[in-house]
Amino acid sequence: MDNKMILDVQNLQKNFGKVHALKDVNLQLHSGEVLGFIGPNGAGKSTTIRVILGLIKESGGSATVFGEDAWKDSVKIHQNLAYVPGDVYLWSNLTGGQTIDMLLHMSGQTHTAKTDELIKEFKLDTSKKNRTYSKGNRQKVALIAAFSTDVDLYIFDEPTSGLDPLNELIFQRRVAELKENGKSVLLSSHILSEVEKMCDTISIIREGKVIETGSLESMQHLTRNVVAVTTASPLDGLDKARGVHQLNFKNDQHTIAEFTVDSDEIGAVMDLLAKNSIVQLRTTPPTLEDLFLRYYHSDDGQKVGE
Amino acid sequence: MEQYTQTWTLLKANLKRDWVKIFAWLLVLVGVFVAVAAKFDGIYGTTKQIAAIGSTLRSKAMVALIGSVPDGHLTTALIFASEMAVFWGLFIIIFNYSLAVGASRGQEESGLTEMVLGGHPVGRLAPLLAAALELLIANGLFALITGAGTMIANMPGSDANGTWLSAVAIAAVGWAFGMIALIFSQLVADSHNVSMYNYAFLGIAYLIRMMADVSNPTYTWLSPLGWLEKTEIYTNNNWWPVVMLVVLGALAFLAAVVLNSNRDIDAGVIHVNPGSRKSRFLRGPATLLIWNQKSLTIFWMIGMAVLGASYGSVFNSIGKIFNTSPTIQKVLGQSGIRHLEQSQVLSFVGLLGIIFSLLAVIAGVMIVNHLMTQERRGYLQMVMTKPQSRSYLLAVYVIFGLVLAAGLLFVALISAMGAGNVVMSHPIAFKYFWRTFIANLPSIALFMALMVGLIGVYPRLRSLVWAYLGISFLITYFGNLMDLPKWALKISPFYWTKKVPIESINATPLMWMLAIAVVLIVIGFVGYKNRDLES
Repeated sequence: MDNKMILDVQNLQKNFGKVHALKDVNLQLHSGEVLGFIGPNGAGKSTTIRVILGLIKESGGSATVFGEDAWKDSVKIHQNLAYVPGDVYLWSNLTGGQTIDMLLHMSGQTHTAKTDELIKEFKLDTSKKNRTYSKGNRQKVALIAAFSTDVDLYIFDEPTSGLDPLNELIFQRRVAELKENGKSVLLSSHILSEVEKMCDTISIIREGKVIETGSLESMQHLTRNVVAVTTASPLDGLDKARGVHQLNFKNDQHTIAEFTVDSDEIGAVMDLLAKNSIVQLRTTPPTLEDLFLRYYHSDDGQKVGE
Repeated sequence: MEQYTQTWTLLKANLKRDWVKIFAWLLVLVGVFVAVAAKFDGIYGTTKQIAAIGSTLRSKAMVALIGSVPDGHLTTALIFASEMAVFWGLFIIIFNYSLAVGASRGQEESGLTEMVLGGHPVGRLAPLLAAALELLIANGLFALITGAGTMIANMPGSDANGTWLSAVAIAAVGWAFGMIALIFSQLVADSHNVSMYNYAFLGIAYLIRMMADVSNPTYTWLSPLGWLEKTEIYTNNNWWPVVMLVVLGALAFLAAVVLNSNRDIDAGVIHVNPGSRKSRFLRGPATLLIWNQKSLTIFWMIGMAVLGASYGSVFNSIGKIFNTSPTIQKVLGQSGIRHLEQSQVLSFVGLLGIIFSLLAVIAGVMIVNHLMTQERRGYLQMVMTKPQSRSYLLAVYVIFGLVLAAGLLFVALISAMGAGNVVMSHPIAFKYFWRTFIANLPSIALFMALMVGLIGVYPRLRSLVWAYLGISFLITYFGNLMDLPKWALKISPFYWTKKVPIESINATPLMWMLAIAVVLIVIGFVGYKNRDLES
């Protein structure tokens, strides 16, 4: 797999009047990669994607796709890109099937066997008018059109927010298939488990700034394990150990404890526990949720991990 | 009563949302009405002036346009009432339509109704009742202010009873049509179609009124719009039509309530059939636009053809007033009469050209405006991320709009010619209609170009186009009545072509209009290419 840069966003800023929606966004997506773009509602995910799509113009910094300027060369870029918005709105007097065919035509594609396969898989009744579809069904229309489009870059903006778990699974499988075929995917979400399952790299955005980028593993140094332990002798001194937080003794003898520990201090803490002869030990690995919560609970300006 | 819980809260919310709109409409509707009333004495004060305008108003053409004028002695107030009633009825109905659709189907479409009904202790029928009350308030305000203002104007020949009757009758017709709009809001599931049904209904009501007025005024009772004339303001001051209008409105509201109780939210009573699973036709923005606008386009074409034909069918009665006077016949001789007759009809054709152009502009501007609606509703995010340029997208809408507007004008003029030449002994040559057609094209282009420019640069001010169109029409129609200075008359693009087709086209102002239109369109395209997509 060559490591060609597909999407490159540098110091991107976007102001709406006096509102600074994007302050400093940096994203890189290489070919064959799935990039997860996570953040809470209102953090700037959709705004960033809209700049990348050339729907709105950047106020500062740059966004390039396939090495071309996202704003000026949008028509050229769009020949090789498929997009599913977070809120799909479709022309009310077209049927789902007509909409799919039209979206494909607009991208210079045709209705193929794969399209039929996708319609069957997502169980969409394509004879219904768009106005009768629920949010999830409208999303399916856009997803079917996007997945049966053969391009190099796929952009999904919170694509599964209206889908049930079964359809979510189909979506995940289809993204995996794209990745196998060497396609690049940008996937924005505030559902972390979704991103966790599919993405190679994760960028976290908060209040218009990308605050962390890397693989899931590389981010775990920032996270804490949850430890539940029972020892033979009292765990004195644990409260003074480095990297231990939220310590909570469950009995008066101080032999049963629950606490969180910084991932990079776990070795030293384990030594301390072992000295008191461990009877029972359960550690829960950090999830993205924990990571996320730590970002959002930390005050502005405070660097994570401090 | 539980069904109506929280109506007051909803009403307050509606008024909070719409008060600017209501205020602006009332300002214009009441302002012009009272201003005309105040000025009327100066324009039609003397017996001579009254006699002159009286014979014009009694011509079949004017009766067809604005309704009948009572027989017998005319006063300033009588002329005012005959000239304004039907016309102001039309305006206030348009105002009520806009309010009614926004407060019923429009609100439901935006998802607001679902949120309010589903998540809050609000009665199922509360939104409907709130809409009806909002209209009642708006029309009540109109009646109050108009009545008071016209009282102050104190035209010769007016009386308090008649003045209040005219204000209340116009408000009542507005309210009644607004209530009928609430029925259509239950029938179909999107506000676009609701408006179509509304205007189709208004068109039919107007046509019936027109046909009845020129043939047999008894039949005017068939059209609720015609009831306005039956109030016989300042002669018999008949309040019964007002009672009928209020009853009609109340019945329409009840019908809307029944329909509303028997349908699901976000659905219409009229069922939607399953459609095709595939499409070979839909290939891009152009075919999509044609697809989306096909029924509306056909609707416009038929409507304009019918309107043109109905105006054409009264062409023969327009000339006739000259035949009745033997002295004139003797003085002018056969050919002279034919000449006079023809010039009379031709000046009517010129007037029709302006009315048809106004409607054609509405249709064309609506097409271009549709692009903006699509943008606001989030449809365009799927189109603009496809490999088609924004210029292409805009061009598709502009070209379609221009072709539609020109087509509508042509269809209306041709059907007027067709119907007119059937009823007239001496047909009018095609070249006059063609001249009228050509003369009005630059005005159409100018209004559409203004819309294109605003969409490109400052879409929020789009309603300026409607304001300008309304003002232009008012100036053309009332400019002379109100004794406006010449420069004010020139604001209206229609001013420059008023004398066509009797006189030939004066090309210079039309060239200027076209040049301005081109500049505006270029500004629009550049702006559209360089602005953020709204969502």
